[in-house]
Amino acid sequence: MIEVQNLNFAYKSQGEILKNISFRLEQGAFLSIAGPNGAGKTTLLNLLAGLLEPAAGSITIDAAALQSYSIRRLAKKIAFVRQEFVPVFEFTAAQVVSMARTPYQGAFAFESDIDKHAIDDALEMTDTARFAGRTLNRLSAGERQRVFIARALAQQTPILLLDEPTNFLDMKHQVGIYDLLKKMQLEKQKTIIVVTHDINLAAQYSDTIMLLAAGGDYQFGPTKEVLSAQRIENVFGVKILSAQIGQNSFFFPIGEKGGHSTF
Amino acid sequence: MIKFLTPKLLIFKIIFCLALLTAVMTLCTFFGTQEISLTKAILGWGDQPGQNIDYDILVRVRLPRVILAALVGAALAASGVVLQAILRNPLAEPYILGISSGAGLGMLTAVLCGASWTLWAGSPIAGMAFLFALGTVCLVWFAGNMAGGARITSLLLAGVVVNAFFSAVIMLLTSLVDNQQLRSVIFWLMGNITEKDFSTLRLSAIFIVAGILGLFTLCHKLNVLTFGQQEAQSLGVNPRTVILLSFVLASFITAVAVSLSGLVGFVGLIIPHSVRLVFGPDHRQLLPASAFIGAAFVVACDTIARTIIAPAQLPVGVITAIVGGPVFLLLLARYSRKVGYQR
Repeated sequence: MIEVQNLNFAYKSQGEILKNISFRLEQGAFLSIAGPNGAGKTTLLNLLAGLLEPAAGSITIDAAALQSYSIRRLAKKIAFVRQEFVPVFEFTAAQVVSMARTPYQGAFAFESDIDKHAIDDALEMTDTARFAGRTLNRLSAGERQRVFIARALAQQTPILLLDEPTNFLDMKHQVGIYDLLKKMQLEKQKTIIVVTHDINLAAQYSDTIMLLAAGGDYQFGPTKEVLSAQRIENVFGVKILSAQIGQNSFFFPIGEKGGHSTF
Repeated sequence: MIKFLTPKLLIFKIIFCLALLTAVMTLCTFFGTQEISLTKAILGWGDQPGQNIDYDILVRVRLPRVILAALVGAALAASGVVLQAILRNPLAEPYILGISSGAGLGMLTAVLCGASWTLWAGSPIAGMAFLFALGTVCLVWFAGNMAGGARITSLLLAGVVVNAFFSAVIMLLTSLVDNQQLRSVIFWLMGNITEKDFSTLRLSAIFIVAGILGLFTLCHKLNVLTFGQQEAQSLGVNPRTVILLSFVLASFITAVAVSLSGLVGFVGLIIPHSVRLVFGPDHRQLLPASAFIGAAFVVACDTIARTIIAPAQLPVGVITAIVGGPVFLLLLARYSRKVGYQR
């Protein structure tokens, strides 16, 4: 369980970016964090991962303060998939995924049978085993992203943080990655927290959503309750056309708020 | 089926590289401008200096020089591997953070002051080069941290600026050196391996081998660190500790190497790249393999340097640069193509 109370954060150059954020997330939840550029979505994710220190407030994971975790122990609790990038050196997909076992290994990191099993499982679940021997620079952006998700899976943590995991991906790969995340939530009871710009994917896949506006205001709650055309308009500053198709709501930007509409 | 690096496979690869180094060292010890009788040399084992000329040339002249070249090569190549990893820059090399200019400044200070003291049986030039190299690295570390906290780019920029500033001071001081000293100063700046006594070699070997072994224990963490500090922390590695330890150990062995041989260039750049092409980027095998191959490379280059224009000798840095320059350009072209492919 993750509990955030009165979280504040400020960058020296930008001033206060997050103000009094509070929420509670049970194990096995799927949270999407959406909002305009610069609202502090990635900052919030970095705070949850223990990579930044809050100016005020607290984060607790399973009833223990985040600061009380050592770097190694925290890596057994939280895995983090960052925005897509190409590493400097030519590691193979298998080598990248095997690095996930670092918090469980000794200095020389020779893989035990448990490590090998976790790596094989992760490669199979993400359908990356077939190119496990290829270097990352020889993979497409979608394949690379799946490798990093496989690494997060092989880390065998109860919490998974993802920062815009479907950036630069086509529709098929976007849906593929969200299907995979949903599968991990449902089958492995993992808590998934995804930062995204895609409101429609968030609406379809997440149970809980946080709409984070520039300036620090936010809305947090069940996705179906929080997401409305009016709220999205207020947060993103665009006119929104919403449609209900079956059980799902869809939202389409149709022009700047107060400006010319495309419809 | 995924092939993981096992202890057996790693030991096999290390033994292979060690065998290669031993073969190169043996060949280079026997190779020289003066013909010697191997039988006479072996039979003269334990003779006093001057009693057996073949033994003296083989064991008292060539062997220490070959060992020295191996130590310098191993230190520079290992240091290059580590700096490329922590700076996440394939073009980094041991001198990038100001060690070369610091050592050069130390050497020139010793020459201009006419210093005559010794440090651990080393000459004042070696001692001052060592101390100034370490002092410069500390300066770069603190300047980098002041400029940008833990950002590695600040460290790199601080190193480049300090290097440029000290290089200008070196040029100024070189112009003040008298003509008799100028040749040895230039040879030192180009990297020059000369005979050293066994006590200096023993101490240097202890420092360099201990430093490389220390770095070897950090190799897996360096693998993770090449993905960035935040990535490393997410995977359970404390990036600050690993960077600090790697930086201290790599700087220390480089400073020892520089104090022994002057500024031997290119080894720390091209050996890690070449070995990476064969063994891949996993630092657990890249670091020990680079140390052995780097050692073999400098031993071979020094053999060319002492024989090619005999009886005169060339600075070994000239040979490593002549061989290393074209290899580096090829690697650079390959690296540029790869970046283009990625986009």
